[in-house]
Amino acid sequence: MSTPAILIDRVTKRFGDVVAVNDLSLTVPDGSVYGFIGPNGSGKTTTLRMIMHILLPDAGRVEVLGRSDTRAAHDDVGYLPEERGLYKKMAVRRLLRYYGALKGRPVGQLDREIDRWLDRLQLTGWADKRVETLSKGMSQKVQFIATVVAKPRLVILDEPFSGLDPVNAEVLKDAILDLRRDGTTIVFSTHDMSAAERLCDRIFMIYRGNKVLDGTLDEIQSDYGFDTIRVRTAAGMAALDRLDGITSVTDNGNMQEVRVAGDPQAFLAALAARTAVHQFEVVRPSLHDIFVRIARPTTEPAA
Amino acid sequence: MSLKKIFIVAHSEYLTAVRSRAFLVSVILMPVLMTGSIALQTVVASRADTETRRLVVIDQTDRIYPAIEQATTAFNQRGGPQFIVSREQVAADGLDTARLALSERVRTEEIFAFVEIPPTVFDPANAAKLLYHSDHPSYLTLPSWIERIVNREIQGARFKDANVDPALVARLSQTVDVDNLGLLEADGAGGLTGGEAVDPIKSTAIPAAMMFLVYIVVMSSAPQLLNAVMEEKMSRISEVLLGSVLPTDLMLGKLLGSAGVSLTLATLYLGGASVVAQRYGYAGALTPGLIALFLLFLVLAVLIFGSIFTAIGAACNDMKDAQGMMGPAMLLVMFPMLSWMVVLRAPDSTVSTVLSLIPFATPFLMLLRVSLQPGPPAWQLALSIGLTLSTMLFLVWAAGRIFRTGILMQGKSASFAEMVRWVKS
Repeated sequence: MSTPAILIDRVTKRFGDVVAVNDLSLTVPDGSVYGFIGPNGSGKTTTLRMIMHILLPDAGRVEVLGRSDTRAAHDDVGYLPEERGLYKKMAVRRLLRYYGALKGRPVGQLDREIDRWLDRLQLTGWADKRVETLSKGMSQKVQFIATVVAKPRLVILDEPFSGLDPVNAEVLKDAILDLRRDGTTIVFSTHDMSAAERLCDRIFMIYRGNKVLDGTLDEIQSDYGFDTIRVRTAAGMAALDRLDGITSVTDNGNMQEVRVAGDPQAFLAALAARTAVHQFEVVRPSLHDIFVRIARPTTEPAA
Repeated sequence: MSLKKIFIVAHSEYLTAVRSRAFLVSVILMPVLMTGSIALQTVVASRADTETRRLVVIDQTDRIYPAIEQATTAFNQRGGPQFIVSREQVAADGLDTARLALSERVRTEEIFAFVEIPPTVFDPANAAKLLYHSDHPSYLTLPSWIERIVNREIQGARFKDANVDPALVARLSQTVDVDNLGLLEADGAGGLTGGEAVDPIKSTAIPAAMMFLVYIVVMSSAPQLLNAVMEEKMSRISEVLLGSVLPTDLMLGKLLGSAGVSLTLATLYLGGASVVAQRYGYAGALTPGLIALFLLFLVLAVLIFGSIFTAIGAACNDMKDAQGMMGPAMLLVMFPMLSWMVVLRAPDSTVSTVLSLIPFATPFLMLLRVSLQPGPPAWQLALSIGLTLSTMLFLVWAAGRIFRTGILMQGKSASFAEMVRWVKS
């Protein structure tokens, strides 16, 4: 097996009394797409910042593309921070050249990449416009180009889809898949569970600084087994009211996800006695469902 | 540390600054403002005061008033303010009534002022003062003029009373002026050279101008750095940059870019100034050695104050906090400006020596001393450069540590105590 793109070995990071990341170990294989999920404030951004050497761990070791030297920034890593930052007064091309030059790339190579990406993300014609004239979605795409313009081998994206409309989010997802085809390793954090399910080879979930999930979607789901029943009935939620054996219900409007204690077939019989069943499917829980199950068991402790 | 990245940051900062409107404004507007204010002062001085002012004279000697009347005609012909004098005959017992009445006339602005000439003014042993009353205590042209005229008249009268010819007195009391000259040197052929007349422009105006130029450039570049760092911090650009550059490199690049802008600005001003100097025959005043020292002190000052302001920018999260912290830093910049006159008057005094060796003041005050006579001894110059250089290196290092921590802090601004802790950690 080749050197992993990222190796996090028993890393702990504290801010004062708060343990942001607790004894975390994680390996991101070269060429994979890794999704980081977790509720707000659970340590995702801190972990990503440690990978970028912007923060240094209090204990443990972070190795990126085979290097653990934290005194130099990594020119082969592209980083899209959660909070976007672009110089408002700069023209798009000059900005992208500057960000690319900071990764040590020559202008000629950068210009080719800039043109290719502007075209790819439907921003041709904006190269000489100032950043402040762009719409929010456009500047977010420019920010993405700034991250990948230097052709990094590893791309770290902190919440790349937040604030994008569905069309632009789709454009960005395609761009990420393009990068993966070229062999780029991609790590991104997201609250968009369907994006994580669709794009990721592996998913990592952090909760209150601790690793709670790590594996392929298949591995994660099989840990939970076929414990979820997806039903669509004529009566909807009303049909499930006080039905025997139900332990939890997630109402998705036209469809409900139900977990039952006993035999699913007995549940189906009971349900069919009440209403017309349009759909009845025994499935593994969705990532969204798993996320909610992990993150909701207790109320948040007071800070 | 990556020199290449420092240079890329510096280059981008430099281009952004030089292309900005603020830079154009400071390049063009500064000389315009300066020449404009000088021109304005000249115009104001010659044109501003053309008012007519009425003065009433109570001449208790009965001998001086005609001379005043005569002098008024001469004075009014020179242009500028016009005086109209008139006489008020007052009996000795009606003096207080007259004073009151005249005061009332001043209040109603019928007259501008009145002056009493007491009867005893001719007695040198026992002369009473002239009593000038007006509502404009800060207007000095009229009282000093009347003082001159009356005194001339009194002196003439005293000489006449003593049977001395005033013309003879004037001839005999002719004064001798001092010629303020430089030192002499042997010219090798048995003669002497040097000893040229001291030119106040060369000896005072040019040194002061150089010092103020450093001040202006520092004041236009250091607060700029604070604003830029704060803007980057608040718009989260810093985090993007920190994914590619080490914080120390980022700060060094910014400082270098700012130093580059300062040098460009100073070169433009200095170039313009030397063209003007050449025209008026002062080409020799700016020696290459002096220019080299000027540039050295300029860069040191920009780096010292630049690193202080950068650190403040990195530590603060809103403009209000930053302004509060800028106060003490501003005092450091202002301090030499408050004490430069001391150095100008006595460049080699102990006070001047001590002041010019204080690292924050050196770029201004040592530069001033170097361009004044007598110049500082070489050891003082070397010591001051050494001290300032070490201060600069320390401040850049400390600011780098504050920058590294502060740039990612969001929310609350840091206090001075916290900043010190960041430096130590």
